Amino acid sequence: MARRFLTSEDLRRLAAGGKEVIVDEETIVTAAAQELARAHGILIVTGRGSAWKEPTPDRGPDAERAQRTLPHLPEPQGDPDEVVTGVVVTAVGRNRPGILAEITTAIAATQGSVHDISQKMVEGYFHMVVTVELPPGTMFGAVKRHMECLGGPEDYVVRVMHERVFRFMHRI
Amino acid sequence: MSFSDQEILETVRMIELETLDIRTITLGISLWDCADSDIDASCEKIYAKIVHHGKDVVAVGNSISSDYGIPIVNKRIATTPISFVAAASGAKDLTPFAKAMDAAAERCGVDFIGGFTSYVHKGYTNTDRALFDSIPSALASTKRVCSSVSLASTRAGINMDAVNHFAQVVLDTAHATADQGGLGAAKLVCFCNAVEDNPFVAGAHIGVGEAETVVNVGVSGPGVVRSALARLGPEADLLAVAETVKRTAFKITRMGELVGREAARRLGTSFGIVDVSLAPTPAIGDSVADILELIGVDRTGAPGTTAALALLTDAVKKGGAMASSSVGGLSGAFIPVSEDAGMIRAVQTGALSLAKLEAMTSVCSVGLDMVAVPGDTPVDVIAGIIADEMAIGMINNKTTAVRLLPIPGRKVGETVDWGGLLGTAIVQDPGRFGARILHGRGGRVPAPLQGYKN
Repeated sequence: MARRFLTSEDLRRLAAGGKEVIVDEETIVTAAAQELARAHGILIVTGRGSAWKEPTPDRGPDAERAQRTLPHLPEPQGDPDEVVTGVVVTAVGRNRPGILAEITTAIAATQGSVHDISQKMVEGYFHMVVTVELPPGTMFGAVKRHMECLGGPEDYVVRVMHERVFRFMHRI
Repeated sequence: MSFSDQEILETVRMIELETLDIRTITLGISLWDCADSDIDASCEKIYAKIVHHGKDVVAVGNSISSDYGIPIVNKRIATTPISFVAAASGAKDLTPFAKAMDAAAERCGVDFIGGFTSYVHKGYTNTDRALFDSIPSALASTKRVCSSVSLASTRAGINMDAVNHFAQVVLDTAHATADQGGLGAAKLVCFCNAVEDNPFVAGAHIGVGEAETVVNVGVSGPGVVRSALARLGPEADLLAVAETVKRTAFKITRMGELVGREAARRLGTSFGIVDVSLAPTPAIGDSVADILELIGVDRTGAPGTTAALALLTDAVKKGGAMASSSVGGLSGAFIPVSEDAGMIRAVQTGALSLAKLEAMTSVCSVGLDMVAVPGDTPVDVIAGIIADEMAIGMINNKTTAVRLLPIPGRKVGETVDWGGLLGTAIVQDPGRFGARILHGRGGRVPAPLQGYKN
């Protein structure tokens, strides 16, 4: 019989003086039951004889279907590991020589290639938008952290966003 | 795929300057399998199951926020109504269930958990009655638990016995938390036509038809709509206003859709709905009242406010419906008084009365929300206010809610400041007259003709 939970009361009843309780691999053993087992030296094992460990959450039948059929907006075709990641870098701040060089150097360090670039000056402030393609397998989070260290509050501020945000917001 | 500078800067501006955010990612967790004839065992199971499924929700929310550069303000959990789960235990005091939920929420790192809930729109079970009686102590002895009850529906009518009972529960909860300015009542709400996939607290829970686990997302962006209307200017006609709101709501909803899908994928569960609601915060500019004033009323509460709000709510729904196949929850415009700087200003200047607020709730997406009244307001007056709001929802086939805050020791015009998202409440005048005989009758308001649709 599949057991959904093992509570401390279940443990007391099933152990009944013994030192081992057998549960299913999917059984959730409550915190109180785990503590009780530790305190009394009772082993909680699965049917296969291995020690019980917290199972991967079973999110239910709908979850399984949703993972297979989750409707996605048109994503770039092909193997996800082979597809380039689009990134939009924006920078705003007080103008001074060398900012473009700093930003493009940082992009080069991430192996990214500049797809499109534009810059405008308004009353001494520059506004830059750079669209970058990152090679397959690049970690977006790492690139974001790397780029957003540039500049500073008194200098210029860089923001890195995933291209998917713009695709969702501006394309049907 | 390439984008114009205008598109890119619009998105960045929305996030950086106009406080566009994902207000909440709410993981719904079914607790049906936690029922047990032993209350301790049931509470153990509840804690274990919430932590089992919910322990990753904060990390997932933060990782999406960091990966996409979109602010995700709250990560929350909603559960099956506890009255269903607790029934098997036969317990008279359900406070231990709230404590188990609270402990699990703390362990998961979420600020609120919704689901101390009961459905009584037609009648009580023994457990429903026990839950009602347990609400004051449950909310006074926990920090994160939110409670909601369904008192009426278009199909069932209004359960006036429950309305009367709930009015007393609201007063008792406020007084049980008097040392915090009656804060307990801010975590307590009642509904007509309750939605079962609402990701926003205090009403968040997952209803009887929901899946084992599900991710629901609430998006917000009054600041974005406000800025778009400010740019449109006062010369544009109302069709142009509606179109602007609709387009903006479309973009906001798409961001919710992206985050919802991604959260569901990363948590390995199904994506439920995006609730596209203009949910204000006390932050400057993040106000629904400001939007109404930009549409064209001198002050929120002035004549024309209900019409402006109707246009706004409808345009938000239309934009949302175009943007996502999964729009649900409450979707529309929230008008919580204490949480919206513009609404507070309107009350302070005498523009917004409780009566006008009630009229506005007939076209907003929720109802009387975060409305402070004196702590000594008689129970029949509270029940009357709730019954009126339930009637608006029942007849108009819409969701309405009441979150009243009887502030202990405060009189009309005085303020109470909770800080944070809950903001500042000004105690409003519920009037000099009550509804003692109506309150005393009890029974049920039968379902209206609108409910007979078979």
